[in-house]
Amino acid sequence: MAQENNIDKYKQTFLEEAREILIELESALLALNENRGDLELVGRAFRALHTIKGSGAMFGFDQLAGFSHNLENAFDEVRNGRLAVSSELINLSLSAFDQIKAMLDEAAGGEPASSVVAAEILTKLREVTGKGERPAEAVAPPAVVPAAPAGTVRRWQVRFSPGADFMRHGANPLLLLRELRQLGSLEIKASLAAIPPISELDPERCYISWDMVLSTASTRAAMRDVFIFVEDICELVIEPAAELVAKPVVAEAAATAPKGAEKKFPPWGRRASDTPDNASSIRVPAAKLDQFVDLVGELVTVQARLVEIATRHDDADVVAVSEEIERLTTALRENSISIRMLPVRSTFERFRRLVHDLARDLHKEVELTIEGTDTELDKSVIDQLNDPLMHLIRNSMDHGIEPAAGRLAAGKRSSATIHLSARHSGASVLICVADDGGGINAAAVRARAIEKGLVAAEAQLSESEVFALILAPGFSTAQTITDVSGRGVGMDVVRRSVEGLRGTIDIASKPGMGTTVTLRLPLTLAIIDGLLVRVGQAYFVLPLASTLECIELTRQDIDRANGKHVANVRGEIIPYIRLREYFRLRSEPPEREQIMVAETESGRYGFVVDEVLGDHQTVIKNLGRFYRHVDLVSGATILGNGTVALILDPHRLVREAIRTMTVGRRPLSTRTAHIRADARASPPSHDGAAGDGAGAEGPLLSSTEKFAGTAGAVQ
Amino acid sequence: MPVTVEQSGGMRFIRLEGEVNIASASELKKLLLEALAADGEVRVDLERAAELDVTAWQLLWAGEREARACGKGFSVAGQVPEEVLLSMGEAGWNTFPVSGEAKAEEK
Repeated sequence: MAQENNIDKYKQTFLEEAREILIELESALLALNENRGDLELVGRAFRALHTIKGSGAMFGFDQLAGFSHNLENAFDEVRNGRLAVSSELINLSLSAFDQIKAMLDEAAGGEPASSVVAAEILTKLREVTGKGERPAEAVAPPAVVPAAPAGTVRRWQVRFSPGADFMRHGANPLLLLRELRQLGSLEIKASLAAIPPISELDPERCYISWDMVLSTASTRAAMRDVFIFVEDICELVIEPAAELVAKPVVAEAAATAPKGAEKKFPPWGRRASDTPDNASSIRVPAAKLDQFVDLVGELVTVQARLVEIATRHDDADVVAVSEEIERLTTALRENSISIRMLPVRSTFERFRRLVHDLARDLHKEVELTIEGTDTELDKSVIDQLNDPLMHLIRNSMDHGIEPAAGRLAAGKRSSATIHLSARHSGASVLICVADDGGGINAAAVRARAIEKGLVAAEAQLSESEVFALILAPGFSTAQTITDVSGRGVGMDVVRRSVEGLRGTIDIASKPGMGTTVTLRLPLTLAIIDGLLVRVGQAYFVLPLASTLECIELTRQDIDRANGKHVANVRGEIIPYIRLREYFRLRSEPPEREQIMVAETESGRYGFVVDEVLGDHQTVIKNLGRFYRHVDLVSGATILGNGTVALILDPHRLVREAIRTMTVGRRPLSTRTAHIRADARASPPSHDGAAGDGAGAEGPLLSSTEKFAGTAGAVQ
Repeated sequence: MPVTVEQSGGMRFIRLEGEVNIASASELKKLLLEALAADGEVRVDLERAAELDVTAWQLLWAGEREARACGKGFSVAGQVPEEVLLSMGEAGWNTFPVSGEAKAEEK
């Protein structure tokens, strides 16, 4: 029954591939909508449909094959210049695309696709193709039976040799030959020379090859299209036969120039597509990759143990080996991460459809421009990028971009642009969604935030702080102010997803000019370079990317600061958080402590620890469901000696510290700038809910002191 | 099972039924080899076969060649269904079991 399992596996592969091809189809359709004369795009759509049809039939998805066949025919008409690309055709094709997707989902065990919808689409399709809006420049004469297309009939010599694995892929040469026969008249001879004696014969291999002479008016490309799904597992040679049957060739509508001698593709080479970068790659299930990265993670952990043991034993040989292993592990780690990196292209391209559909529904003209599609991101990050981007684009389309009339009145082009871009920036990737719409009304947001009690009426907020308010959960409800109505819809989702990815969001907007939302995301979620620190018996890891320097904090310094939690670093006043107090660790601080200075969203902050142990390749382990809501900790890692160290998120730690200090007394707005101002001006202390004797001390002290006091309450 | 074997009166009947494709290719090869190794004539019964794919064709052809080489009787029993012949013809397969005598050989 192994064969049956194999067939299932191929079916699975087909479904996966078909989904990829569908993405290609969709992008071709949408691009075609913008550029209707582009025959290359028509060809892309046709080939995608053809492949889905052919391989679908091969694996017994007859309904799918039949349906795609109809659409394919329509595009064949377009390709041959008998049908013009119209909005109707594009929209119909997109609905058909959805239907094919539904059929694939059904095949994968999902909900059954509606046959009523399919029938409707086909009826409309027939209307569109039957109506035959024939373009004036159509070259090929119309109304000819497809079996014997018009044009000049030429004779072609075709040699087709299925590769060793051809049958095992579930491909059937007979179906292909039958299809080829439909292009014209075929003389065919099967060559049996390669069939070995029966005892040596591999029963699952096709030893037969075929020599054919095809008399057809079709182009070489059309012949190749028959074999498109199998072209990398077979050898195909198509050459013009010596003599010509009829008159010389007239310009063919969709003639692609013959690509020279058809080349032999390496076995297992991927489908030759328009992009060269997948010329030789292998398909690996994501789960295997995850497992691989997990194993590398384990290796990193064990390697850390080895280093520790080597150091303890002080044996030069062991140390040498452990250093070598460390080097290899680092290389392996980087390699394993790079394997998981995927370009954002397919994620980005997907949004063309969203923009197209939304523009139609909202009666707005919107063009989506895409940049930096080659930028690579960890697969797990990419997977989670879809939702936030969708919400951002939706928001831009719905609320950012004005209706055409409004745009014209404002002196802008009636057609709006949404620009989606990705680029690298250090260990992060910046993803921007920019629109040229009306921008965010800062005053309205502010007013609403005050009304909702998110900020104090007198709070001094910078522009980006005001814009950040739209991300607040309270803002994501429906009854927001009209000017920015809905700007908050889904924004909470965006915030959550991005924070889940340990990323940050920055919003910039100019009234009348548009809004740009920038997501800063880490390259990977699996392993980071961290700095290992110790406080008492507890170990923590701070991401190396955000730490700046490490300075000593002596008792003397503490005394000198008059109890305030600030350090003077070369003239700059840096507030710090004592992790011992913050996490309520019961142990005596040493005489000399260390301040790790980190760059956070809220400015530079210090984290006071007992000892800095050095850099550490940190394999991020999930803390599990129970600790999911503990924001301050982005995960845990296992150290060489088996101890668990928590990975701290400095951004959230600081933000949370500020929040707990201000909650109930001071609104969100009191950010660093404020605290610094307070520290200088020493205003009257706030009377707080969380009392801790705050009144007697300076505000900064009280704040940090209270970090310790409220840490337990931070979930 | 699309491929079965039956011993009857010194002859071995290899019966192909329904769709005979790569899924039963290994089984067919095994049965053919056994039949070739055993004494007596080999008859291939395709009467109830609906569709044969190339893996079946080449096995039957190789079996016939082998049998011919060692002077063993190897032939088709009964009528080869029209659709099987048609698909073989379409693919330019004009040898066993399409050959004239195979078609003519009635039980």
